[in-house]
Amino acid sequence: MLKFTLKKLLQMIPMLLLISLLVFGALQMTGVDPISYMVSPDMAASAENLEALREQMGLNDPFFVRYFRWVGEMLRGEYGYSITTGSSIKTMLAQRLPATFELALWSLLLSTVIGVAIGIVSAIRQNGIIDYIGRFLAVIGQSIPQFFFGICMVQIFAIKMGILPTGNRMSATGEFTQAQHLILPVVTTTISMCAVLMRYTRNNMLSVMNSDYVKTARSKGLPEWKVYFKHAFRNALRPVMVVLVFRLPLLISGSVVIESVFSWPGIGITITDAVVAGDYPVIMVTTVLVAAAMLIASFLVDVLTALLDPRVRLGE
Amino acid sequence: MDSKDIILDVSHLNTSFMVEKKEIKIVKDVSFQVKRGTTLAIVGESGCGKSVTVHSIAKLMPKNAVVKADKIQYNAMRDGQIHAYRLENMAPYGKEMRSLRGTEIGMVFQDPMSSLNPVYKVGDQVAENLLQHFKMSKKEAQEKVLDMFRKLGIPDPEHRIHDYPFQFSGGMKQRVVIALAMICNPELIIADEPTTALDVTIQAQIMELMKDLQVNEGKSVILITHNMGLVAEQADEVCVMYMGRVVEFGSLEQIFENPSHPYTKALLRSVPVLGLADDQKLETIPGATPNPADVGEGCEFADRCSACCAECRKGRIPAYEVEPGHKVRCVKFKGCKEVD
Amino acid sequence: MALTDKSKATKLWKKNLRKFCNNKLAMIGFICMIIITLACILAPVLTSYDPIKPDFAAITKAPSAEHLLGTDKLGRDVFARVLYGGRVSILVGVVGALAGSLIGAVLGAIAGYFGKWIDSLLIRISEVFQTFPNMILILLMVAILGQGLNNLLIVFSLTGWMTTFRMVRNEFLVLREETYVKVCEAFGMSRPAIMFKQILPNVLSPVIVATTVNVAGFILSEAGLSFIGVGVPSSVPTWGNILNAAKSLDVLANYWWLWVVPGVVISVFVLAVNFFGDGLRDVLDPKQQ
Repeated sequence: MLKFTLKKLLQMIPMLLLISLLVFGALQMTGVDPISYMVSPDMAASAENLEALREQMGLNDPFFVRYFRWVGEMLRGEYGYSITTGSSIKTMLAQRLPATFELALWSLLLSTVIGVAIGIVSAIRQNGIIDYIGRFLAVIGQSIPQFFFGICMVQIFAIKMGILPTGNRMSATGEFTQAQHLILPVVTTTISMCAVLMRYTRNNMLSVMNSDYVKTARSKGLPEWKVYFKHAFRNALRPVMVVLVFRLPLLISGSVVIESVFSWPGIGITITDAVVAGDYPVIMVTTVLVAAAMLIASFLVDVLTALLDPRVRLGE
Repeated sequence: MDSKDIILDVSHLNTSFMVEKKEIKIVKDVSFQVKRGTTLAIVGESGCGKSVTVHSIAKLMPKNAVVKADKIQYNAMRDGQIHAYRLENMAPYGKEMRSLRGTEIGMVFQDPMSSLNPVYKVGDQVAENLLQHFKMSKKEAQEKVLDMFRKLGIPDPEHRIHDYPFQFSGGMKQRVVIALAMICNPELIIADEPTTALDVTIQAQIMELMKDLQVNEGKSVILITHNMGLVAEQADEVCVMYMGRVVEFGSLEQIFENPSHPYTKALLRSVPVLGLADDQKLETIPGATPNPADVGEGCEFADRCSACCAECRKGRIPAYEVEPGHKVRCVKFKGCKEVD
Repeated sequence: MALTDKSKATKLWKKNLRKFCNNKLAMIGFICMIIITLACILAPVLTSYDPIKPDFAAITKAPSAEHLLGTDKLGRDVFARVLYGGRVSILVGVVGALAGSLIGAVLGAIAGYFGKWIDSLLIRISEVFQTFPNMILILLMVAILGQGLNNLLIVFSLTGWMTTFRMVRNEFLVLREETYVKVCEAFGMSRPAIMFKQILPNVLSPVIVATTVNVAGFILSEAGLSFIGVGVPSSVPTWGNILNAAKSLDVLANYWWLWVVPGVVISVFVLAVNFFGDGLRDVLDPKQQ
């Protein structure tokens, strides 16, 4: 197990380097003068200062030297300053990352639990009510644009009924609790994410229930609940774990737009504003951090899968 | 013939599948008896309903199957006394049926690759059968599993019980499956084409193993196969099925020396035998297996039978007793006593 | 021999067509798609209003006989904007999906057929692209290339090739070992000919289905991007940037026709495409033949 974990960890590093190289290189292509975001705005004021600073900071050095220096800065947490707001990127992220995490974690948890539960029940009681509800929700969830669903929710629950806030993470006037602010964005994201998982779990569960080893379990005279919980679930849920890897990027993608709809102060809205304003340092840092987060998540899921399936860790 | 000699008595078993509101009959009016301590071979082409028959008896059919029978009686012998169980009305996964599975009826399925759960160790899977039915500690169960592995010729059992299915070869896996089926010492073993998925040399080993179990421990075996050679080696009695019906039933000698139904005769002629003369051709049965949804009344084999006549296509063909213990479902024998 | 093959092929075609027509949802989806697409193409016929020119005399009017779906904040007729906007949205969806699939199929064929280091290289590249959440990648590219309709098409093609690539590559890896390929190689057929004339047709069915599904995906993506203001600039109407108006709570509360209509149209169209794609998959899936 340890060997497997180390192997996966080592595979992550070159990927991360490659991504950071590509992002760094891509943004060099845009031709924005790096000095504008590498020093705080007051220092950039005078022109002679700028030239001296350029020399001092090695901005005239060759590409790879600058790249590795940047990697070093990234690792040390020196993220630079935003062009548009002038504030330190590090502080911005420190404020905004938790917000996106909160949204993402709750959505991931709820959508996984609900999606898997409905999927399993749909498979066990095929063509029952839950099955039809599940299939209906799945179809709707995949067709209605997530943000449209979101604004409909705002219209109904926040504007018309007034029982939930229209956006933001907290109320300045304390009108709504923090939990109430979470409800609409989480529900919106959850419903879209449930859709795919429901169908996938249902199909897996069905094929597992028709498998020979389930028949063998029954031929031993095991009670049905044991057949399901012990024999069927572990095999049906294993592929679902793999799908989890692909759900995290979907969540982050979704959050870009959802945060706009609900004015949720997270990474999504940060990067959107940065792109519109051409705020390259913010774009660079957030992109690389997001990629790093995805790689770490993928690594964690690999480890989890290996724990569940002996074939993976013993290397079939 | 009393219950002491008969371990399983099946009478008029009918199984159909409900497909999009249409009922497709797969097993039609099947009746046979298994004598205690013998091997009954059920033979026939692929798709003739042999597998569905035994799955219906063991009540392991999927939800869209409809199983009806006049009688499926299992006679358990305990301390010299017979306990009769009528399986036809039992709930498939109810307490009573489940208590019989494993302890009285053991099943070995066709494909060892998929019969074992890939995420659990084999030792645990075999022990599970034991622990479900008997109160014992995990250690005691493990000891019994080790014993069984040794008996079945699985090398290095102390280490192998901690291995996963994918770490075994096909033949070894099937031995594990047999161990799983036998661990609670059932009296009746149902083996559904147990060697079809294995190499020929391994086939021989496994079949020898099963014969040993039957002879040395007095077990009764229902062996499903389409391999007539296997039948000749293993079976005491033979039940020939075609398109869901029993067309002929008799002892091994009766079937091989006096095959009566045209299908049985054709089956025996199509088996490759060493020493065919130069101009002797391997016979095939003309035509193809019809779609179960298409078959109407009369004999199912009529379209492919060389001796077919007009009477063969009318109504239900009864079974006739050609000689004691030998039944044939064919109009040609209507002179004999009707038995079904 | 050739004649019977042809007649067999037509019979299969007809059988597939019948199977598709029997699938009610797929047919409904197909018809909806056609109706909406035609309506958008025939926009100048269906409406006389200009979708871009403001008319300050008729600001935010509710739906009436004059303006079927009302007007927006600049007095522009919403019905006209939806119709003309549909042209762009559907175009973006279709072109993006086609271009993405084309790139993916070609790269997949090369990777699957030649294998070894080319395959490893291309797989690595696709993994790099796939590590990023889709939106982040798109935003990054928009940041580099700048906003605009053409740039968006390029961005979509560059971010949507990975799934087709995987599919085609896997098929090629398997089919490359088939006997008929070895026969062609033995006869000295050129490699591009083998790749594109022999193997690729077998992969066509799943690629077609994937492309159809991608159309839906890209329309949703464009809608999202335009909604947050990063997609097509508002000078060119699309279903997404019409919805952009709904970012303001005032619009949300008081002028329902400005946002409900484009939202519903997108949903219906995407739903139709999904049903059509499902029906297509049922018909084209060789495992179900």
